[in-house]
Amino acid sequence: MRFLKLILILLFMAVPLIASAEKAKTIDELAKMYDSSRCKECHESIYKQWENSHHARPLMGVKGGLMLTPLATKGATAFSPDDPKKATIKNFPCFKCHLPQAITSAEDSVAVELAEALLAKDSTKVAKLQITCIVCHNTKAIIHKRELGEPKAGVLYSSKAVDSHPDGIFKKVEKSAIMKDSVYCGQCHGLGPNLEFDQAFQCANLYGSYLHSYIPSGASQTCMDCHMQKGDHLIAPNFNDDKGTSELLAKAISLDVQTLGYEWLLKAGTYVPKVVVNTKITTTAGHRIPDG
Amino acid sequence: MVVTAKAADGKELGKVEKHYHPQATNCRDTKMRYGAQWKVANLRDTSLQPAQAKKESIEFDLPAGVREATVTVDLFYENVNPGNKYSIHSITRKVSLDR
Repeated sequence: MRFLKLILILLFMAVPLIASAEKAKTIDELAKMYDSSRCKECHESIYKQWENSHHARPLMGVKGGLMLTPLATKGATAFSPDDPKKATIKNFPCFKCHLPQAITSAEDSVAVELAEALLAKDSTKVAKLQITCIVCHNTKAIIHKRELGEPKAGVLYSSKAVDSHPDGIFKKVEKSAIMKDSVYCGQCHGLGPNLEFDQAFQCANLYGSYLHSYIPSGASQTCMDCHMQKGDHLIAPNFNDDKGTSELLAKAISLDVQTLGYEWLLKAGTYVPKVVVNTKITTTAGHRIPDG
Repeated sequence: MVVTAKAADGKELGKVEKHYHPQATNCRDTKMRYGAQWKVANLRDTSLQPAQAKKESIEFDLPAGVREATVTVDLFYENVNPGNKYSIHSITRKVSLDR
């Protein structure tokens, strides 16, 4: 009997909340629901790349900043609640991309806890909320839901199918229709103003730039061709890495400088010594720079 | 991008800044906004575009008697605030009016 009880307890611990319809009431519950830490047991290098990526700290901004703080601060934005204790998921429209699992899987109490953590500058708590492996390889993996249905529980989606995936929860990997296409990234690295909200706002325009400037130029590389070479899950740039970011930018952006010194004849007898600097910047990026 | 011209003694002869980025307002007033929670739509875009070269021709008039200048072009990426810079290229050229 004691053995059976132990098995039942272990089973309960092994099945994350994601398997149930129950929503997370706390940040810890939401973090646990989408916890991907066990992925590193087999995908160690990919996991390490992800750990250094902005996807691993979507609410932290650059260099430890708590970029959502204005949303928790009374009067700072149109979305901010008067009192953090009254915060709801709707007070954080950024969740659309920065924490999509909050929209599907969190109670408003998570928004309250986050608002309080932001105001208290509790970085440790805020950092628990991440775009984990499960978010990309399940939650955001399907955009043809009328044809293909919702992402299935217990199934991961990737660029190729794997019949047997040795994980206690996600036992199967199905081929995603879009995971090699830029539209996959375009779900969040956006088109322009988010007009579907009752208060429009604009974050990333990058996919719009890709569609309307890069593709019309006759180019055809995907986001992954440049930002995920050899399956790199850092998905650079990592703006916390000054040297790496400078190197990446220097690789993508060229600067040509040509100079000329001469005496310009402004009018008869009046020469103006002049230096002319001609600059030409070109980029190999598939989108405007800067954008996100 | 910051283009600076200096005389041989280090005195600055001129400095020109060019800012390349999309610029948005909240569509309720004419103030530019940073931050997704305040921006609504771009109204101007000077950013680097795919497959398009960004060209500038910058002129510095030298003071009387100055026949040489050292020109430095610094191209960098500013993130979130102007203090957070990532250097991209820094090119220096010595320009003389004498042959």
